[in-house]
Amino acid sequence: MKQRPWLFLLPALLLVSISAFIPLMTVMNYSQLTLLPGTEPYFAGLENFIAVLEDEGFRGALQRQIVFSFLVLITEIPLGLGLALCMPKEGPGVGLSLVLLGIPLLIPWNVVGIIWRVFTRSDIGVLPAAFDWFGYSYSVSSNTFDAWWTVLAMDIWHWTPLVVLICYAGIQAIPDEYYMAAKIDRASPWKTFRYVTLPNLRGVLIIAVLLRLMDSFKIYAEPFVLTGGGPGSSTTFLSTYTSRMAIGGFQMGRGAATSLIYFFIVILISFVIYIIMLNLGQGAGGDQ
Amino acid sequence: MAEIEVRDIRHVYDAGTADETVAVDHVDLTLQDGSANALLGPSGCGKTTLLQIISGLLQPTEGQVLIDGEDVTDQPPSERDIAQVFQFPVIYDSMDVYGNLAFPLRNGGTPENEIEERVQKIADLLELNDILHSSPSNLGPELNQLVALGRGIIRADTSAILFDEPMTDVEPARKLTIRRRVKEAQQEFEITALYVTHDQHEALTFAEQVAIMRDGHLVQYDSGETLYQNPVNTFIGHFIGSPGMNLLDCGVTANDETPHAQIGPHTIAVSEDIHDEIDLSWTDCQIGIRPSSVTVQVADPKEDTNYIPATVDQVEMVGGYQILTTRLDDTDVEVKARVAHDFMIEEGASIWLSFPPDTVQFFHEKQAVHAQ
Repeated sequence: MKQRPWLFLLPALLLVSISAFIPLMTVMNYSQLTLLPGTEPYFAGLENFIAVLEDEGFRGALQRQIVFSFLVLITEIPLGLGLALCMPKEGPGVGLSLVLLGIPLLIPWNVVGIIWRVFTRSDIGVLPAAFDWFGYSYSVSSNTFDAWWTVLAMDIWHWTPLVVLICYAGIQAIPDEYYMAAKIDRASPWKTFRYVTLPNLRGVLIIAVLLRLMDSFKIYAEPFVLTGGGPGSSTTFLSTYTSRMAIGGFQMGRGAATSLIYFFIVILISFVIYIIMLNLGQGAGGDQ
Repeated sequence: MAEIEVRDIRHVYDAGTADETVAVDHVDLTLQDGSANALLGPSGCGKTTLLQIISGLLQPTEGQVLIDGEDVTDQPPSERDIAQVFQFPVIYDSMDVYGNLAFPLRNGGTPENEIEERVQKIADLLELNDILHSSPSNLGPELNQLVALGRGIIRADTSAILFDEPMTDVEPARKLTIRRRVKEAQQEFEITALYVTHDQHEALTFAEQVAIMRDGHLVQYDSGETLYQNPVNTFIGHFIGSPGMNLLDCGVTANDETPHAQIGPHTIAVSEDIHDEIDLSWTDCQIGIRPSSVTVQVADPKEDTNYIPATVDQVEMVGGYQILTTRLDDTDVEVKARVAHDFMIEEGASIWLSFPPDTVQFFHEKQAVHAQ
């Protein structure tokens, strides 16, 4: 019975095909068609893809997306790791910190957006009032800089706890012997971090980076609720652009092509980062 | 290279709570400069705790640790110059083998040219030359454990090295090679070593002197031979040797005015040296004899009263010899005897056993009775 393993895999394959493969194929199909309301679809070949890649709106959204995800990673990963290192390792503090950290993760994306929208409203918001105190006129709807850092702050507030939890689990899993050996080898606290903690967290850090990269690349609800992609198109990221194209602009074919390009970019960047992190500092000569 | 002394060490975990456990209880031990020692005992007897107290990873509740007579109890591990090899290989896998070996020296600020010299010396000794620039994550646990050992002994000022069951992760087939290199390194540098294990074979092959612990107490600290021939109590008698010493409950009777051990209808002579030490009123006595010291005879010895009839319950072939499990006739006392591999005997057969008096240990209340 060589087929038996496949039999066991069947339920999983079925689920994956329904949830991923079939939609992906549908999008593949759409991306090669010109679909306009009220007309018969006709085959467009690569036309949609070329149009997307040449579109200024797409390029702008992609650039903003890359900058945004980059900023998310370089803030959330060190911040999350730092907080995880500061957390108590045992005692009643552990449960308390874990619950406090879990709260932002339990709130749905659009609710986070609404919370921050209330924060930033010019009439009743806390943020504009606070900045007013210092003589700074804060506005997410008219100031690009304010809109940007607010969206970023929102993401950091919402998702750094996830990085903390992942790192904390990783730190707890490092055997005490490593730290004992480092003590015996007269390693300074920095060297202990550099040669014991960090290498042992390689696996969990890869997971944290990839999760945050892919998730931040998909950011949609928060800027949509907070700024609606503005001012102008300054906080229009790839997902906002894609949905506008497909649903707002009724260009399903181009929307599908955008989705595929988008999908490919996420996979490519994730893969490159994964390979880099996997080989980073593996078995090198050490600091001289 | 140094003499290590622990004085009246006591260590209590979770003191003052419901989980309070005394791990080490008033232990005194002196390891001679340059000697190879083992700390042997069943799991949970406190040996790892004692080891960590010596290396400074743990502060004892009471007592002192002295290195060359200097009290180091309050010093952190980094100042004690004691190396430790852990149960599983602790390797800094973001560095290659060279980087790992050099790590303690670099932390101490040793100049690079000296480091290179020292690493070379250790690599030669442990035969690590071919893998100096490999990543340790590609090497097996055996080689990693050697690298960890090398890192321990690389500092010229290392005063002692402690091993905490270092062979746990090592494949049985490779244990011999690894153990040989460990032993060679210890001898080459004449470094004071303490090897913790629950495997008596490892302990006895590595060490000149073996300390045996049980329930937090140090029971006996002696050479392997003494432990084998003259155990201080029944625990060590049974613990050392495979199979352990036969321990037979007995009474004391006077036979020809001298004390003898009485087991059921059988009388067993004990060494003349201890006749004066044995009190005829004693109860809770045992005699101990090694399976290899039991003399076995298949033919009825007739007149020779030194022989006791027994029945063979079980015959086990253990490589080069056989272990017979026998039962002394008219009793339910079991005696194991070791015989040559070509000894012809079947289960259920009758045999005669003799216990040469000089090889018989006498225990009263589990403690060995020795000649004064």
